[in-house]
Amino acid sequence: MTNDGTAQADALTLTGASKNFGHVQALHEADLQVSAGRVHGIVGDNGAGKSTMLKILSGLHKPDSGELRVAGAPVTFDSPADARGHGIATVYQDLALVECLDVATNLHLGDIPKKRFFVDRKRMERDATRVLADLNVRVGSVRTPVGMLSGGQRQIIAISRAVRLEESRIVLLDEPTAALGIQERGHVGDIIDRLKAKGKAIIIICHDLDFVFNYCDDITVMRLGRTVAHLDAATTSRDEVIGYITGARQGTAA
Amino acid sequence: MTVSGGASKTMAPGTTDTPITKLSLGRRLLARQELTLIGVLILVGVLATLRNSSFGASDNLLQVIRAAVVTFIVACPLTLVTIGGGFDFSVGSVFTLGGVSAAYFMTHGIIWPLAIVLGIAVGAVIGGLNAVTIDRLRVPPIITTLGTFYFMSGVVILFTHGIDIAPLPTQFNSLGTGSTLGVPNVIIAGILVGIAYHLVLERTRFGYNVRSLGGNRLAATENGIPVRRLDAWLYVGAGALAAFAGIVYAARTGSGQVSAGGTSVTLTAISAVLIGGTSLFGGIGTITGTALGAILFAEIDNALAVAGIDALYSNMIIGGILVFAVAADSVRRGRMFSLKR
Repeated sequence: MTNDGTAQADALTLTGASKNFGHVQALHEADLQVSAGRVHGIVGDNGAGKSTMLKILSGLHKPDSGELRVAGAPVTFDSPADARGHGIATVYQDLALVECLDVATNLHLGDIPKKRFFVDRKRMERDATRVLADLNVRVGSVRTPVGMLSGGQRQIIAISRAVRLEESRIVLLDEPTAALGIQERGHVGDIIDRLKAKGKAIIIICHDLDFVFNYCDDITVMRLGRTVAHLDAATTSRDEVIGYITGARQGTAA
Repeated sequence: MTVSGGASKTMAPGTTDTPITKLSLGRRLLARQELTLIGVLILVGVLATLRNSSFGASDNLLQVIRAAVVTFIVACPLTLVTIGGGFDFSVGSVFTLGGVSAAYFMTHGIIWPLAIVLGIAVGAVIGGLNAVTIDRLRVPPIITTLGTFYFMSGVVILFTHGIDIAPLPTQFNSLGTGSTLGVPNVIIAGILVGIAYHLVLERTRFGYNVRSLGGNRLAATENGIPVRRLDAWLYVGAGALAAFAGIVYAARTGSGQVSAGGTSVTLTAISAVLIGGTSLFGGIGTITGTALGAILFAEIDNALAVAGIDALYSNMIIGGILVFAVAADSVRRGRMFSLKR
């Protein structure tokens, strides 16, 4: 467990979380501890329980047992809206964008600003422009339909939406680099660095170990529904992580 | 993966090299079906007037609009349902049921204004049943509403024994046949419904959420949009307005007609929506497009009649236009969304 002396508050902790789907045990006594201002990578093979973990954190699934704390206070989520209310923003792997709508609208999905009866279009576009400028995304027009953007641009829009709310302190990213080219991967990495600098806690579920070692501070390895190792990215090695992923090394954490 | 030419340009540190391009005016215009429709409307009008100059007479044009209005009132909520990714085939028989039940209420001791409200309520309840069947029993919208369509057309016959309900209160009838400030009341009703639905779709959070719902239902859910509640409102609206249109029709014709509505109303309303550029796949569509679609429909019908051409050709022409309109939509969408993949 990493704890580099600085009295970093735990932004989010999950302890002893289990989740069954019928007789399939997707998650077994899983733990996670994420600090503000750090990037936490969750790695593991297919079926290791990464997605289940993410869905519990984002409020899509309820764990059968275990405790979830946000900023030290115990919470339970009944819906993604609950998780969002506690400052957890999720960027789903499918990005959850609506192609036929423009950038400004997509940045406000589920939370369209209103002025009396009508949508406050001006504020929506102004906010969108500001958020994208904050993240140094060059914008032509926030009125461009998302369907006309490239994969990398879409990924950036989805991340921008997650951090749009100032109160989102924890950002979950599900496979943010899965569909991207090398250059676009770099852009997403830049944005992650920026978010980190803003003091947000970032959780990344990722297959791509290069990306994880480039951008993550902490690494949690999952295997067969368990969290088998909690590692500091600065002191561990690629081989060690792969060892835990494949089961060649036995975990100490579980 | 293509390599972009300008990638090596120097940038401020941390600037992402993924600028979001501005749409050219041409491409934005390309995205609108309305312009094409207005062109076709004028073309048909000119051709019809050349064949028989009485087509262009203001009386006749008013007749066209009047015929379009009833379709339009049904088609407005249907536009929203379709944009929301749903479908409603049942509007035709809800139309009939609305007219017949309002007529029944006002001939059985209920004052006509209340009878109108009750008739609309009947439609709203049927819309609610559609929504429950679709969302709770997970029956696809097209099946659910097709079932409702048949069921309710049976209910109408059971209820009326196939006999039209007349006479209706004179005040009610004069509302349907009368005019205010020279504009027929029926047309005023259509304009009010149209404006209301246009504002709801383009300007309210509800409208934005409906577009998101139809554009990507999963994304809408993941972003916390209450998708089922939206569905319910959409189908309730479709039922209520279909019944209202049936009542308007009853007021215009002076009776609750068993043979009014049915498949022809359903099909013209759906066609008006689709010709108007609303995508059957959801997310895209406008009320103005639907209005033009409804007018085009009525115009072609009328033009062929005025020109003395068999109604048979009317169906053929409308069929052709419908397929052409949807094909144009597909091509347009493909062109808009494929370039930057």
